Amino acid sequence: MKQIKFFHMTVQFLVMFSILSFSGFSAEAADKENCLMCHKYRQIGRIDEQGRKRSYYVDEHIYSNTTHRNVPCRDCHTYISKLPHDPVTEEVNCANECHIKPPFANENFSHKKIIETYNRSVHGIKPADSPQLRDAKPYCKYCHLNPIYTKVSEEQVASTSLIRCLNCHEKQGVTMAYKHITHRLRHKTSRSPQQIVQLCSKNCHEEVALMGRFKASEESLAAVETYKRSIHGKSVALGAQDAADCISCHATNAIHDVYKKDDKQATIHKANRINTCRQCHAKANDRFAQIDVHSEIDQHKKPVLYLTNTALGFAFYGSVLGLVGLMLLETYGRKKDGIKWQIRKGTTWRGQSKRGPKL
Amino acid sequence: MPGEPKRLEHPKSVYIIGFIFKIITLSVLIAVVYQITLSPHGPQLLVPLQKKMEAKQKSAIMEEVKRQEEYEIHRHFHNIVSYPKLPENVQPVCYICHSDYPHSKSKKVRAMLNMHTQFFVCETCHIEEKYGASVVYKWYNPLDKDPKGPFFGTSYDPQTGNLVEVEDQFSKIAPYFRVGGELQSALQIQDAPLAQDYVKVRDKLTPEQRDNVKKKFHVNIKPKGHDCKKCHDEKGILDFKKLGYSENRIMDLKQLNIAGMITKYEKFYIPNLFSDSPQ
Repeated sequence: MKQIKFFHMTVQFLVMFSILSFSGFSAEAADKENCLMCHKYRQIGRIDEQGRKRSYYVDEHIYSNTTHRNVPCRDCHTYISKLPHDPVTEEVNCANECHIKPPFANENFSHKKIIETYNRSVHGIKPADSPQLRDAKPYCKYCHLNPIYTKVSEEQVASTSLIRCLNCHEKQGVTMAYKHITHRLRHKTSRSPQQIVQLCSKNCHEEVALMGRFKASEESLAAVETYKRSIHGKSVALGAQDAADCISCHATNAIHDVYKKDDKQATIHKANRINTCRQCHAKANDRFAQIDVHSEIDQHKKPVLYLTNTALGFAFYGSVLGLVGLMLLETYGRKKDGIKWQIRKGTTWRGQSKRGPKL
Repeated sequence: MPGEPKRLEHPKSVYIIGFIFKIITLSVLIAVVYQITLSPHGPQLLVPLQKKMEAKQKSAIMEEVKRQEEYEIHRHFHNIVSYPKLPENVQPVCYICHSDYPHSKSKKVRAMLNMHTQFFVCETCHIEEKYGASVVYKWYNPLDKDPKGPFFGTSYDPQTGNLVEVEDQFSKIAPYFRVGGELQSALQIQDAPLAQDYVKVRDKLTPEQRDNVKKKFHVNIKPKGHDCKKCHDEKGILDFKKLGYSENRIMDLKQLNIAGMITKYEKFYIPNLFSDSPQ
């Protein structure tokens, strides 16, 4: 077991190392103040007063391949004002303006706009929220890690067309700009449907006891369970990349604008539902949009669905188990009659039935 | 039937086709059994039993620890990488009780002290010198009797300025006692009889008995480790050149930027760093 764990970790390390080794960029650009002088060592950290492991390590190879690679440390960690710095007690504010000017923009970059969208959504903290609800609501870092650029398969093809760009632009700039765009091209989000479903479920929406404390409706308490039983959930569980995950239906391309279904801004509000379905089902009409996606198969609430489901279950189990049963009965009968198994001489059975006519 | 010609042996391909059908039948059967018993998409006949067994093994502590680890990944934000870890039996005995983050007392330097566990074993800093034996420092790898390097932290990549990544993930600087002409390792590893025996019986020992045994693991170990300048100095105890460090790395380590920074800010923020107060 120990060996397996050891092997697994070694493989994990080698895979991560090989993914990152395609780029030799240094994190130096973002680290003009040399914070990595201390933070580049992987064991820098401690066990805090509550007994939690706190790592202060920033892997320079990984950092130089992330979307934040050009953001100087203190643009986010604004509370650091001296060296060596005091124990950190403040959190990073993602709405800070950093000293990065995006292409074709006059203002410094900030996540402020998306945070405003998020704050209006059902997940944003509202003045009336209880302290427990505030704690339970996800914040930026709850869902996001510093996104790592990944190689996309189109790169090989595109690299030939990108050569032209090099006539005017530096190679490093072109590669980075290309990576920045392509890693967002694959899905509505850069994560797979499987990752999205896990993100929303684990420790949150699938925790019925936790959600129940915040007066969540019966429907939303069962949402993870009913999704997993739906055609979307089953497809995603089987590895589909195009099937609908949580974000596909519950948010627009702004990703963070999730609202309760009674809210007019909600993508699942009855007035907007048809457009939401049409993202994938181009011919969806009003009737189509009425289909209950998170359908709970309840005997009393939906008797027709329950009966159909039960009948289909009987048909499925009946045919498979019937066939197997038939085979077993036949085998038992033949053995009882004294016929033996034999895989040669043109038959799988040998001998004569005790009950059959003497030959 | 009598008089009919004997049927010939089946052609060989029949056996192959038969085998494939058997595999398909078996797979369908396994899938059906899973569907009926455990699958969330079926009647889940065995799920209550599974839940009962899980409840028996459930540990609130384990769940909380795992949850904390997951939260830490996101709190940290800067993607944490897992590194290969030594199999338990060859880890030093210190790891029976201590983690990779053993220092916690001094708020100002605890994280920096813990950082050093990547480069050397606990004894390198906490060794008590033995009468009649000098201490020699060498690279030590429990999985390789004679590690040749290159070792992590010994040189910079001239193109990026980062420390060069190396294949050897386990070598650390460790002390050896030179007795006469021979080198004796100053380490105890978990494979040693005392350690194995302790792991076997520790749950049965009373707290006093446990303290008694723990003392045996701390022979030649002093509670307060070396000061920074014991190594990060022109006359430090570690011979960086012999240990395979490159010239520019040696310069940085000896006049260490961090040590430099510490000296520079000594008066302002950490006046007691080099004092004798326990860390």
